[in-house]
Amino acid sequence: MTLAQNSSAQGDLHDQKVADYKSPSGVTHLHTTTLSGIRTQSGFKFEKVDVSYQMLGKLSPARDNAILVCHGLSGTAHVAGTDAETGRPGWWDYHVGPGKAIDTDRFFIIGTNALGGCNGTTGPSSTNPQTGQPYAMDFPPVTIHDMVAVQAKLLDSLGIKKLFAVVGASMGGMQALAWAVDFPDRVRICIPIATCTAHNAMQIAFNEIGRRAIITDPNWNHGNYSETGRPAHGLAVARMVGHVTYLSELAMARKFGRRRQLETGHADQFSVESYLHHQGETFVKRFDPNSYLYLTRAIDEFNLFENATTEEVLRRIRSRFLVVSFSSDWLYPPAQSRELVRLLKRAGLAATYLNLETEYGHDSFLIENLPFANVLRNFLNGEYAPDTERRFAHLTPV
Amino acid sequence: MNSGIYETVTQWIPEKSRVLDLGTGDGTFLEQLVQTRHITGEGVEKDPELVARCVQRGLVVHQGDIAEGLDQHADGAFDFVLLLGTFQELIQPAEIIREAFRVGQQVIISYDNFAHYHVRLQVLFQGRTPITPALPTPWYRTQNLHFLSVADFQSFCRDTGIRETRRAFFNSHGMVHFRPNLRAETAVSLLETSR
Repeated sequence: MTLAQNSSAQGDLHDQKVADYKSPSGVTHLHTTTLSGIRTQSGFKFEKVDVSYQMLGKLSPARDNAILVCHGLSGTAHVAGTDAETGRPGWWDYHVGPGKAIDTDRFFIIGTNALGGCNGTTGPSSTNPQTGQPYAMDFPPVTIHDMVAVQAKLLDSLGIKKLFAVVGASMGGMQALAWAVDFPDRVRICIPIATCTAHNAMQIAFNEIGRRAIITDPNWNHGNYSETGRPAHGLAVARMVGHVTYLSELAMARKFGRRRQLETGHADQFSVESYLHHQGETFVKRFDPNSYLYLTRAIDEFNLFENATTEEVLRRIRSRFLVVSFSSDWLYPPAQSRELVRLLKRAGLAATYLNLETEYGHDSFLIENLPFANVLRNFLNGEYAPDTERRFAHLTPV
Repeated sequence: MNSGIYETVTQWIPEKSRVLDLGTGDGTFLEQLVQTRHITGEGVEKDPELVARCVQRGLVVHQGDIAEGLDQHADGAFDFVLLLGTFQELIQPAEIIREAFRVGQQVIISYDNFAHYHVRLQVLFQGRTPITPALPTPWYRTQNLHFLSVADFQSFCRDTGIRETRRAFFNSHGMVHFRPNLRAETAVSLLETSR
């Protein structure tokens, strides 16, 4: 299977069928735990929060090899391995597993579903203990920092004091950055990928189109929809817009061009249309429309430097960084990553930066991508070497 | 580039210095400095494949051009800024050096001497842009934008308020001590700014 056949413009492994793909991690399982004492930034106090999570690999006796993997908008706790029920591989199976870039033979990997999500962690579709009904729009606004606070509580319950690394792309990259600031003593390496410190107007605009599609769907009903009458059309449109922003012009030209969808009898339909319809329909089956509203809102509201100067925020950080962007990513353009790196370095922090030449747009981190995998692997292995702290202490400005 | 340059630069850099290596290539020399001088360092490199090799060596590296690699850093973030083998390729060498002195206390630059006698003879007798062992690339393929001599570099330093505190000259036989503007193929200088 070549890179081009396999990976061009197909989204993550959750939503695509890759012929003959077999996860090297075998069948894996998710866990759920219930945490108490979670208070959101907005001041809402949860009686309890369920967290769905996955563990891969083995925690070292020194407990120094834990890597938290944070998912993007539509991801789940299922990072790698084959799901026992659905038979589907995890969303980052290409890069996490035995012998993979994030090597489960070497590292202990934790994946969690984000607060506000809809795949096992408490979110708008969860039952509100006060009413016995789904929270729906009574769910409190959640932030990237809230998501990270829940992950930290989960790690407490697992007995993990310090992460070797926190890795995330897109929304997950925002979480990685929030980790480095909110829990500076718990993160040794921070790897934000294809992300930014705050959304710009264009990024907010695309999310707003998605949200608007959902709330103007007649089925949405202020968030109080039934299982059989969900605002599926609105969510599907939101996902279609999303998918366009995750791809690139070149990737779409290569994969679809102006070809027609002849084999399904829709000669009047362009391939790209049928692809987007399919992506929309698939997504609707597994994602809650209200979660989409809350998570995109959390992403749009995120600003690493809110309520403080950049100096004040960055002064707290103790991690070393690997920042990666992709040349064809126009949703999270490389300039945003470069600006992040500039701020980190001006604050005297050690940061390695790569802008990888790929054709696949924002999705470049999800697909099989050898240069990306090599950089990730080499960086993690290099930093995990025991003498690293001595060789590359922080570069502190005079 | 002449291996003598690397040996000389290694001697000039004290233990545990902070070093920014502009145009670090695959990171071989920076890694050597880390191992032998225990420096903390960072490389700047444009070519993604070379950057990937720096990562493999466990180096802190920035993929970008030299101006960007400098702009990323706070004033005085480094003890030394290295510009080895890239000086002649810079579009705005004076500005890059000014930025290098903002970021670093001292700057080390190497350059090829365009007044070496091989070059002079070829220009004089053949009337062509010279191709020598030290300058092997024809004019239409060279990365070099500027052709300077040892004497040019010295007046450049004088005009821009830079002091050469140490310098060394090399040709294919080794170090050159006598009449470097005629006999040296490459030069390396340790610079301080008097401004």
